[in-house]
Amino acid sequence: MLRYLLKRILAALVTIWITTIAVTLLIHAVPGDPVRIMYAKFQSTPEQIEEIRQRLGLDQPIWVQYWRYMERLFEGDLGRSIVGDQPVLDILLTRFPPTVALAATSLAIAVIIGMTLGFLAAYRRGTLVDMGAMVVAIVGVSMPHFWLGLLLLFFFALELGWLPVAGSDWRSLILPALTLGLANAAVLARLTRSAMIDIFDQDFVRTAHAKGLPKTLVLYRHALRSGLVPVVAMLGLQFAYLMGGAIVVENVFAWNGVGRLAIEAVFARDYPLIQGFILFFATVVVVVSVIIDVLYAVVDPRIRYS
Amino acid sequence: MTLTRLLTRSVLLAGATLLTLPASAQELVWARYGDIDSLDPHRATSTLSMQVWDQIYDTLLAFDMEGKAGPNLAKSWDLSDDGLTYTFALQEGVLCHDGSPFDANDVKFTVDRALFGDNPSLTKTSWGPIESVTAVDPMTVEFKMASKFGAFLPFLADSFSSMVCDTVDAETFGSSSAIGTGPFKLVEWVKGDTVELEKNPDYKNFGKPVQNDGPVSFDKLIVKTVPEAQTRLAALKTGEVHVAEPPFDDIAAIKEEGELDIVVAENTGQNVFWEFTISRPPFDDVRARQAIAYGTDPQMAIDIIYGGLSQREWCPVAAGVFGNDQEFCKSHGYPYDPEKAKALLGELGYGPDNPLETTMFVWTGGNRHKLAEIFQAQLAQIGVNVGIEIMDIGTMNARVKEQNEMTDSDAPGTFDMMTWGWYDPDILYALWHSPGAYSGFQTPELDAMLEKTRTTIDEEERLKAVQDVIAYLMKNAAHIGLYTPGWEWVFAVRPEVEGFKVGPFLHPMFQDVTISQ
Amino acid sequence: MAAGATKAKVEAFGRPPAMLALLKSPSGTIGLILVAMLVIVAILAPFIAPFDPLRMASGPRLQPPSTAHIFGTDDFGRDVFSRIVFGARLTLQIGTIAVGISLTAGLLIGLVAGYGGGWVERILMRLVDVLFSFTEIVIALACLAIFGIGLTNAMIAIGIASIPFYARVTHSIVLVEKNKPYFEAAVSAGAGHVRLLFHHLLPNVLPTLIVVGTLGVSTAVLAAAGLSFLGLGAQPPAPEWGFMLSSSRDLISRAPWMMIFPGLAIMVTVLGFNLLGDGIREVLDPRQRSR
Repeated sequence: MLRYLLKRILAALVTIWITTIAVTLLIHAVPGDPVRIMYAKFQSTPEQIEEIRQRLGLDQPIWVQYWRYMERLFEGDLGRSIVGDQPVLDILLTRFPPTVALAATSLAIAVIIGMTLGFLAAYRRGTLVDMGAMVVAIVGVSMPHFWLGLLLLFFFALELGWLPVAGSDWRSLILPALTLGLANAAVLARLTRSAMIDIFDQDFVRTAHAKGLPKTLVLYRHALRSGLVPVVAMLGLQFAYLMGGAIVVENVFAWNGVGRLAIEAVFARDYPLIQGFILFFATVVVVVSVIIDVLYAVVDPRIRYS
Repeated sequence: MTLTRLLTRSVLLAGATLLTLPASAQELVWARYGDIDSLDPHRATSTLSMQVWDQIYDTLLAFDMEGKAGPNLAKSWDLSDDGLTYTFALQEGVLCHDGSPFDANDVKFTVDRALFGDNPSLTKTSWGPIESVTAVDPMTVEFKMASKFGAFLPFLADSFSSMVCDTVDAETFGSSSAIGTGPFKLVEWVKGDTVELEKNPDYKNFGKPVQNDGPVSFDKLIVKTVPEAQTRLAALKTGEVHVAEPPFDDIAAIKEEGELDIVVAENTGQNVFWEFTISRPPFDDVRARQAIAYGTDPQMAIDIIYGGLSQREWCPVAAGVFGNDQEFCKSHGYPYDPEKAKALLGELGYGPDNPLETTMFVWTGGNRHKLAEIFQAQLAQIGVNVGIEIMDIGTMNARVKEQNEMTDSDAPGTFDMMTWGWYDPDILYALWHSPGAYSGFQTPELDAMLEKTRTTIDEEERLKAVQDVIAYLMKNAAHIGLYTPGWEWVFAVRPEVEGFKVGPFLHPMFQDVTISQ
Repeated sequence: MAAGATKAKVEAFGRPPAMLALLKSPSGTIGLILVAMLVIVAILAPFIAPFDPLRMASGPRLQPPSTAHIFGTDDFGRDVFSRIVFGARLTLQIGTIAVGISLTAGLLIGLVAGYGGGWVERILMRLVDVLFSFTEIVIALACLAIFGIGLTNAMIAIGIASIPFYARVTHSIVLVEKNKPYFEAAVSAGAGHVRLLFHHLLPNVLPTLIVVGTLGVSTAVLAAAGLSFLGLGAQPPAPEWGFMLSSSRDLISRAPWMMIFPGLAIMVTVLGFNLLGDGIREVLDPRQRSR
């Protein structure tokens, strides 16, 4: 177990390390002179541009730049944004909690709706319930997040006036979380259905049936618990998918998270902010997936830590 | 409104009333499409930022409703006979937000920081040729100029010259702290979301064109970012937001319903204009630039998109700014004439088989991309294929400059719908005097003419100098006015809010605002 | 995602009987019909569309759906139906180009890693794992930050973003093929690297990848529409569906048809490719079909 844990953590660290190299290289992949693109503001002279280049160390060889980047990184310094000239880490940290709130709420919605739907479909396999649930699920998978968001916004906020539209409190969280949650519920429903069908077909469930145990008891005792294991395993992937979706949904609802920040940064070519965002985002995704993998290993003793 | 909507609305309203305690602080929520870039007046140039600085800081001088600079934090001033030394007498008893008195040292601190620090102001040039600032005594401050500077006084009334108190914390100033003498104090800035301000109980107004010279009548001003115009409108209707820019296509309907007031700012100083990459083909030839001007019809475009909220602007400086004269500019201008445009393109060898290919830059927001689409369609009719690239204004400034510096590129040069809001024709100096804001169009001749607009103080002579520059820029089709105003100048206001006013050059003022229950 | 699961099941595919089997599954049939419709609309666009998709004032501005403009008009008086019809061309282009890029690159990386083994494999697959953990949208954003925004760049960015996925699938198939008798025989017969790679491995890997690629079209179309919606992809006046949706945002209450129809078009297209994919999977996995 300990070996598995260490191995997983080591792999995560390697990933993050490679990410730091990638983001350092990013700025040099930009065609043209990055300093000029970034800092050629109103009224800046060529001398000022040179001065900035030196101050940022971009006149140094790339390995020196990388070394300095890492040094600053260990001090928690991700550089300063171009727009507004502020510490990148501060900006990311203030914009992160709303994203967490959105992702967590959506995940809860996705799990509740998706698993229920998938379970019902598997339980009533081949019936109209199953077909209906799967039609809903595949339509849900095919629906663009942003369109679903606009539709919800149109009906619930503008036409019916049920929900506030401009706030940053919990009521304003409902629509974006529902948008992201429903889209992911569709994916989860399909996963849950096939996992549960596998379980239902397994011998121990059939045996329990044959022994004349009541159907519901069989379901709870045996099928549900073992059926959930592979679904929980998929939550890791699901989380990454959800975070990706959050970037789009945040922009539909003007939810003030890192996703909206990222798009603003790309538009403004604010490279220090983009670099910081990529490193931050990748780290979060990697850390969460390690945690889920480890939890999964703890929960399911059948995993061999190879 | 359907019955269900009415019912749910009333239930919600009842709930909201129960939740809101009668004695709670009075808040005014102002929603805008974007956030400020910085609280530091030296670190940003966006209108969104400036409009918030106006609430936190004050300026030495202030514009009256006609756009003339008069006394404000400075109660009077003297100019030496050689025109090089300005001496300002400051108002007594003004307090900074932290309680310290505002004095000559704060002025010196602000100017030194903007000009002589290691990270000078982004609009350093516009402060003029200041050599030094001295605090003669606590209430007297002296500016020494290297040469005469005709646009100095109006600059001191503009938000870029906002007075910052010297008690600010250098570490956090701009991102999480700010100390000024304006009508509101900073409570908190949640980046990308809100700037929370509270009333400054010690505020005194000296020169702003408002009735109430004391503190504002309500407790908090919440400046909120709500990017979607539809969302802002919905929030205005539910009362979540009190002041906001509405979607343009809904303005007629809003006026008809009569529920919300529409406030349209006048004399904004905003100028939207064509501007070209002059350093390489195709726009290195004046005829190509003129063809674009002749081939586009701004009047039609703004009628469709803004429906009478904007007007055609023929000059390179906007209506309401010194030097603006529609008749004069029109006589040098390029009225819509697609045939003439085609003829000019023909002279350059372009035609149906060989269309001119180029790219137009335009910045996001305010439906400018929709105007661009109309121009794109108009230009297609004269045989110009235009790609549109939409970007934010900071990026556009940088990209335009970059384009001009790519002199040996094989890619066709670009043109753009550039925008500047300024209080004085001195903007032309910043844009076109060597090395130029965009390193684009510079000639020794133009440099000399621009110098003259700065060093001439006599009004009549300066007008002549400014108009010479305007005529030159238009003749060379370097800066072609399209329309004014252009951005963030229309406000929809809730009926319970009274007294919201926008001063010249787009300075929103909340001093006279009262909120009735 | 289910790379390991797909690989074994896909081998049979590509032969005519399997194609026929596809028509026996209801989702496969519907999917095939929807995708065929998209292709036909794209090819015949000029004949189907009643108006020039770019012509302004084809009708009055913001006209609700009517007999003249069945999907209404937009704020420039352009015919929304005609724009959607021409948008099908862009959508197909996006799907094929993006998938083409990720498939080609992913195939090469997967082949080289799987065949080469040793440190080549370890380094390549470690890199692929790293990229995989970035999530596709972040890779796409990084690419756009480097290349600049625009539809072509968005297609390339999406293509690059999916390379890790295709590399993984290829890699896992190669690992299986390498241990099969025919390959071992070829090795012992002294075949060269190039011959082994392109004559023996490639033909056995390709069919699976083509199937996975078909499925990938739906992801690519969704991603491109998303980028255009955010303003990072298609630029005006392109009749790209995601871009049309984003221009409808200021007008949702005035002109909801501008929002509803482009969204439907995206959904139907993605649904078509998803159903087709499901159908293929059912054909390849008889166990599932029997259910």
